[in-house]
Amino acid sequence: MLEQQLVNGFTLGLIYALIAVGYTMVYGVIELINFAHGEIYMLGAFLTLSFISLGLPLPVAVLLAMLAAAAIGVLLDIVAYRPLREAPRLAALITAIGMSIFLQNLAMIIWGSRPLPFPKQAIPAFFNEPALTFSDVTISWMQVIIYAVAVALMVGLNLIITKTRVGTAMRALAQNQTAAALMGINVNRVITFTFALGSAMGAMAGIMVSMYYNTMYPTMGYLAGVKAFAAAVLGGIGSVPGAMLGGVVLGIAETLGAGYISSPYRDGVAYAVMILVIIFRPSGLLGRAVTDKA
Amino acid sequence: MRGAANTLKYLLLAAALAYPLMPFRDIYVLHVLVLIMVYMVLAMGLNILPGFCGLLDLGFVGFYGIGAYTAGLLTVQYNMSFWLIVPLAVINGALFGMLLGAPTLRLVGDYFAIVTFGFSELVVLFLTNEIWLTRGPLGIPGIAPISLDVTWLAALLGIDERWRYVFRGEMPYYYLAMVMVSLVYLVMRRVEDSRLGRAWLAIREDPMAAASCGVNLFAYKVIAFAVSTGIGALAGAFLARWTQFLSPDMFKFWESFLVLCMVVLGGLGNIKGALVGSVILIALGEVLRVILPKLGLPAETRFLVYGLIMVLIMRFRPNGIFTQVAESTMQSQLIKDLRARLDARRTA
Repeated sequence: MLEQQLVNGFTLGLIYALIAVGYTMVYGVIELINFAHGEIYMLGAFLTLSFISLGLPLPVAVLLAMLAAAAIGVLLDIVAYRPLREAPRLAALITAIGMSIFLQNLAMIIWGSRPLPFPKQAIPAFFNEPALTFSDVTISWMQVIIYAVAVALMVGLNLIITKTRVGTAMRALAQNQTAAALMGINVNRVITFTFALGSAMGAMAGIMVSMYYNTMYPTMGYLAGVKAFAAAVLGGIGSVPGAMLGGVVLGIAETLGAGYISSPYRDGVAYAVMILVIIFRPSGLLGRAVTDKA
Repeated sequence: MRGAANTLKYLLLAAALAYPLMPFRDIYVLHVLVLIMVYMVLAMGLNILPGFCGLLDLGFVGFYGIGAYTAGLLTVQYNMSFWLIVPLAVINGALFGMLLGAPTLRLVGDYFAIVTFGFSELVVLFLTNEIWLTRGPLGIPGIAPISLDVTWLAALLGIDERWRYVFRGEMPYYYLAMVMVSLVYLVMRRVEDSRLGRAWLAIREDPMAAASCGVNLFAYKVIAFAVSTGIGALAGAFLARWTQFLSPDMFKFWESFLVLCMVVLGGLGNIKGALVGSVILIALGEVLRVILPKLGLPAETRFLVYGLIMVLIMRFRPNGIFTQVAESTMQSQLIKDLRARLDARRTA
């Protein structure tokens, strides 16, 4: 029982981690809580659904959905956030909430407000069969795929951040935007790249969740977004490895909390973790000490 | 220009006072007007934190809910008088406000926003799951209305039978809501110009400078939190007795956002702006409620318009639509004074 819950919690945690890196990267470079990130996750699932219903095979649909989500993320930055770079932070945060609500309701108009199942014919039949069984613990193929995709994406992301020029530029921006600009870094281009990368990963999380639970609905981004943000805070906002660790810890904490403490309060675990971490350890598990910037 | 604006203001006030007495009055319109007044109180209450103190509170709805449920439960369980319930609800809201406020007030910016948001979500979870107390998702039906049947007063004054309706049903609520809005408005105007209000503004503009001029940041922020959440709870208490039904759904995050929209639309820190923002957004919501289904869209999509409005205002008028120049220069004068005093102290 415990082992099975750990497995399920770990699966959930990897999903949160994939969304959380999007929050943490954007926060790292422009210090904005991108409230609309949860909606990108939701759009990933719905776009895949639409591409599949156009007759595309699953891998192509997923790839296109990720690209489209990346484009939406970039557009979001250009249209909503870029004009506010110099404005008070309050204005940018309110804009982010406004965009979140806008996108959520736009999805409601396009796809309807009721939950839709992930198209069954698109999912290979073996996905829901057990891949590994140890005594009473079962890991399905779907879970194995979630592990593989999440780990691959995160390793890829870490390579991009640590080994490439654009990754170096991202880290430079997170350190000091003015100094980075003075060193010849095209700040807007790096921010665009950050949004694209984070959005594509968030969309992948949304796609895998809708396959895992076989459902998607326009408001799904809200709760997942909050939890992933809590994960980012837990890991230390601005820190990419922190977001990954925070996601996994939060996923396991939530599953165990639901199993052993109180299942109606499973969503409360994320809120409680978020509040306690911010109050007692605002720099999170792996974050740098936060300086008072007000 | 200014005279014309004043005339318009008094005409509107007179129209609002007289409307329920008119033969063409409409129950639906009356309901919307009362709703607007509830939101006016909410907007004025929320305004204190982001508007006066520069703290973005995303969890205001939590205290609105606490006030409403306090009032609803006391009514249903103990059949207490409204006049006793209101102060209890306000005190309860303020207590919870201080409970949340005290440990969070040293947080700034986004962190403060997130903690308040998390708190309001926990309130909704509590209201949904503690079924023994709140009946959970079923909500609390049958909350007795405020016993405002003052027909005896009409009889005493010898008022004609045809006018007695003014003293029954919705009408007393309407006027009570007006009294509530006026009282909160007057209090806020007084506070704005007081030592307290100036300390808040100083905190908003530059906490460090304010602190070094002897403003006790913590104390003033806790007071701001208590006043703000108390007013939120007041609106909730009124709402409970007006709708006579409560459910956790009425206190979700979108409500916080809506009230924030009103405050920002009117101009953060501008009390009159909060009132105008409430009128505009509730009226807009009602108009959209009628129009959207005709376009074949679900009524909930009015939030799409709200979201868009918010983004556009932030883009083109980050200080709100009605912020007057005079007010902002007054504030910057205050800041100059503070800075001058600070410099004097540094050189001394």
